[in-house]
Amino acid sequence: MSSFFLQTIFNGILAGCIYALFAIGLTLIYGVLNFVNFAHGELIMWGAYFLYFLMDRPLNLPLSIAFLPALCLTILLGLGSDRFIFKPLRKASRLTLLITSLGLSFFLRNGAQFFWGAEIRTYGFEIKRGMKLFGVSITPNQLAIIVSSTLCMILLYLFFYKSRMGKSMRAISDDLELARVMGIPSDRAIQFTWIIASFLAGLGGILLALDTNLHPGMGLINLVKAFAATLLGGVGNLWGALLGGMIIGLSENIAVLLLSPGYKDAIAFGIMVMMLLIRSSTIFWPKE
Amino acid sequence: MLEVYDLYSGYGKIEVLHGVFLRVSHREIVCIIGPNGSGKSTLLKSIFGLIKPYRGKIQFMGLEISQKDPEEKVALGISYIPQGRNIFPSLSVLENLEMGATPLRDPLKMKKAIQEIFDHYPLLEKKKRLKAGSLSGGEKQILALARTSMIKPELILLDEPSLGLAPKVVDQIYREIDLINHQGVTFLIVEQNARKALRLAHRAYVLDLGVNRLEDTGEGLLQNEEVKRLYLGG
Ligand SMILES: Nc1ncnc2c1ncn2[C@@H]1O[C@H](COP(=O)(O)OP(=O)(O)OP(=O)(O)O)[C@@H](O)[C@H]1O
Ligand SMILES: [Mg+2]
Repeated sequence: MSSFFLQTIFNGILAGCIYALFAIGLTLIYGVLNFVNFAHGELIMWGAYFLYFLMDRPLNLPLSIAFLPALCLTILLGLGSDRFIFKPLRKASRLTLLITSLGLSFFLRNGAQFFWGAEIRTYGFEIKRGMKLFGVSITPNQLAIIVSSTLCMILLYLFFYKSRMGKSMRAISDDLELARVMGIPSDRAIQFTWIIASFLAGLGGILLALDTNLHPGMGLINLVKAFAATLLGGVGNLWGALLGGMIIGLSENIAVLLLSPGYKDAIAFGIMVMMLLIRSSTIFWPKE
Repeated sequence: MLEVYDLYSGYGKIEVLHGVFLRVSHREIVCIIGPNGSGKSTLLKSIFGLIKPYRGKIQFMGLEISQKDPEEKVALGISYIPQGRNIFPSLSVLENLEMGATPLRDPLKMKKAIQEIFDHYPLLEKKKRLKAGSLSGGEKQILALARTSMIKPELILLDEPSLGLAPKVVDQIYREIDLINHQGVTFLIVEQNARKALRLAHRAYVLDLGVNRLEDTGEGLLQNEEVKRLYLGG
């Protein structure tokens, strides 16, 4: 029983790591650009499919070689959506941005479905037996998830607290107008924000797909989780997003001990609705 | 140094300034007083370029600047401290200064400028690791002044530095302004509760309903019966 419980906690942390990667990206975009990017989930999904594309026929690249190009393609997708869609709308209302990002999300999801169909796919690795550690089974993929997301958090910390660009991004996220007034170049910081958010989305999507599978709907469901985590942690708050992701991951997996696994996704959804009720929805409407 | 000539400005269709005239000379402290909503903040924002004036001229050191962006104005030596939120609350005091030092560009110069500020304001150094949002109102205002004066601008546009502060703290802020002014920085200050500002100001204007009504020395306006009655609360 106790090792069963430990396994649940471990699975929760594992899921939490990935949700945190998603949520940090989402909260970053919100903080700097002041809107909820509903297409963030599609960056997750496309990241996973980019890797699939590179590893599938005709390229047949091995994972170790395809991994970085897949992430770069995801970053390009993020930068492209800013350059061609969100940048021209920089001065638009939050509602416009919200609906635009919803539209983009549909477009990208259908795009993936067009190329790869709606069915569930995997990267085609045989499932490796996990090693046992304190009665908890860990597969190599899961180990990769823990290691790379921990590494990401450390790098993010160093970036946001030690580098000038990172500090500028936090300043802009605090108050864009004041940042402009003080001569902090916001254009480059905004580009950097997209790079980081897309990178985290792509990485998380790939890790998730390595551990489970890919399908065009994976973006949307994970957007809900990232969004719930973001709301839990306080929108725009980086470490809050990390913590929120962990809480969602853990509560989902613990809930499965009590409920049927079919309800797993409902947990994040429930938390999201609850947080929206508590906080009202100032995140969608400009603050007075 | 700064000349504003027949300036019309506002927000979209809402015209707020209907022809404002103003002149600030080198090393002067000029104060604009006026009631709530008279367009004082709008005037500063227009001068700094956060909103583009409809028409009229703004000249800075002989250069026409009315259609320039804030970034260019910072480069020309104009700094602006907005009303109310004028620091980054979730950044530490030190990080606020680092951000303020952006126009200096050279990391070594930045470091030196920040050290000078810390030497001058030991209190800020003591609190440099704290979030700026946790400072008191007066400390925040000092921080805003410090990070602005650090880059040695020619002209500081200062919007309601005394907003929400206790009288004693206001005195301290004005002492700092005086000090910075003596280092050669020109000030254009906007105030609603204006006695202290007028006492310090070399010259002052009264702005009401988007036009300037009166111009005099600070003392002159302080003694003016009409100003006393209408704008200084008797
Ligand atoms: N962003 C805005 N959009 C539209 N109208 C605005 C905006 N900001 C201010 N106004 C209007 O412009 C007028 C002047 O405002 P402004 O802030 O310049 O006044 P103020 O003299 O600074 O007042 P206060 O002493 O309260 O700071 C007001 O009637 C105000 O309602
Ligand atoms: Mg004002």
